[in-house]
Amino acid sequence: MLSAGDYQAIWLTLKLAGLTTILLMIMAPPLAWWLARSKAKLRPLIESLVALPLILPPTVLGFYLLIAFSPEHFLGQWWLSFNETSLAFSFTGLVIASVIYSLPFVVQPLQSAFVHLDKTYLEVSSTLGYGKYERLYKIIFPMLLPSFIIAGALGFAHTIGEFGVVLMIGGNIPGETQVLSILLFDHVESLQYSSAHQLSFILLVFSMSLLVVIYGFLQKRQQRVLNA
Amino acid sequence: MLKFDIQKTFKINSATTHKSRTLHFKGELNLSGVCAIFGDSGAGKTTLLRCLIGLEQCTGQIHFQQQIWLNQPESNNVRSKSAVHKPLLVAVEKRNIGVVFQEPRLFPHLNVQQNLQLAVNKSENSTFTIQELAEKLGFKELLNHQTTQLSGGQKQRIAIARALLTNPQLLVMDEPLSSLDASSKQLLLPFIKQISERIPILYITHSEHELFYLSKQMVLVNNGQIEAIGEPQQLFLDSELSLIKFAHQGLILNVLVKKFDSDEGLIKGCLDGQTLFISADQAPLTTQIQVKINSRDVIVALKPIVGSSLLNCIAAQVIDFSQDQQKAVILTLKINSQFIYAYITLRSFNKLNLAIGSNVFAHVKTMSIIN
Repeated sequence: MLSAGDYQAIWLTLKLAGLTTILLMIMAPPLAWWLARSKAKLRPLIESLVALPLILPPTVLGFYLLIAFSPEHFLGQWWLSFNETSLAFSFTGLVIASVIYSLPFVVQPLQSAFVHLDKTYLEVSSTLGYGKYERLYKIIFPMLLPSFIIAGALGFAHTIGEFGVVLMIGGNIPGETQVLSILLFDHVESLQYSSAHQLSFILLVFSMSLLVVIYGFLQKRQQRVLNA
Repeated sequence: MLKFDIQKTFKINSATTHKSRTLHFKGELNLSGVCAIFGDSGAGKTTLLRCLIGLEQCTGQIHFQQQIWLNQPESNNVRSKSAVHKPLLVAVEKRNIGVVFQEPRLFPHLNVQQNLQLAVNKSENSTFTIQELAEKLGFKELLNHQTTQLSGGQKQRIAIARALLTNPQLLVMDEPLSSLDASSKQLLLPFIKQISERIPILYITHSEHELFYLSKQMVLVNNGQIEAIGEPQQLFLDSELSLIKFAHQGLILNVLVKKFDSDEGLIKGCLDGQTLFISADQAPLTTQIQVKINSRDVIVALKPIVGSSLLNCIAAQVIDFSQDQQKAVILTLKINSQFIYAYITLRSFNKLNLAIGSNVFAHVKTMSIIN
């Protein structure tokens, strides 16, 4: 069965993915809204930056983050001015990296929902007496709830599956940076195939069930609303 | 009273030019009953309405009763920062206008009851309740349905109820009946008229029938401007207005009702002292009715036609004529104080040797009652 180390890694992974998802669900909606509606010349550039982690090798992102986190550079220096330990090889560093790495997975479903949202629903809301922000959280958010769930779920799942970036900036510290994917790699390297099988199977079933829920239920529900 | 003087500038970006076009609307409306906004497609009716609601950015002034909804100088350069000319813009949600768009625009993720509840939540002491409107507009059994399952007519009835539940000080409707079937129209038209006794209504329409049935006041919009404001009957007779091309198709006449013969289904009426028979399903409710005579349904003869099925023969005088692109002739016939148009071929015109001042007999095949 699963060892204490396995449980620790599972807990750490869930903590990392949960925290990352919370942060992303705060940052991504306004960003996606802006990307969906703005006519600014800067928009394609920002959109590309957000989408970059989709195609950039995770090791490249990890490498640059490692350099940025190092005390010789601005970010690392600034961090050390009020913290004892460096950002690199820390849980906080992992959270920052995960937010960047999973951002497109959260932004893109939201952006697509906002693009397909008929502007007239906003107009109707205002004629019913709902103010600028009130109409967003009282009417548009419930209308696009499936998209918000999809975005959160994809961000969460993608963070759980993160490997390359963690390897570069996290290292392999149990309880601090040793997440599931890294532990799995450890098991394989030390030829503990039965442990590797267990972790792999858990990840496989989790990912598959999540995608079935998204494509089989949530997405259809959202399309029914958006195409109405 | 609704008083406005607004400018709306559009950028026209085509492949070759980057021009802009400015629409300028100026007018003052008495707000009682229905005020119809009438005009061709593309004339700017919807733009005018959207500016008044606040959904479209524009400059100028809008005053509603004692409230100022908009006070913004025309050019951005002149926008001064002094307190005297401080630009003022009341947001849509603060104007308290009920809006019914051409399409129902119900929220697809909510059922009927929840859609209506959204409006109720935001209104203070509404004069209507969901139950009351559901009964009047006949959607009581639909309250728990998803909006996506409803027909167009059902949705529009709910959209009208939703606008009323906000307890608006002004109701604005943009061709609300244009895409509905006849039975929905028959239900909604009297309802809208009845509502207008309590809440003033601005009503865009293409339909002369709706115009004459609902409104005592109309705004004629043509080519991005307000061409005239006045009573529909008067504006339709004014040959100076762009309305004349609608009028050429047929004019509306006032007819006094003398009696109704239910066996024959005929109203015997009086048009400027001459007798007129009009088919009707039921006795008219008023002593004066409005009848539309299509100019193509008028047969012009130099003597009364005898031995035919034609019932109506009106003595009239040709006071004007004009020719359209199809070479046909439109005669303006004066009865006494009222006018009808007759649309005849050029050959008939020449054969009858007609001229201004000719006395003729206008035979009318069919006519329709407007109200």
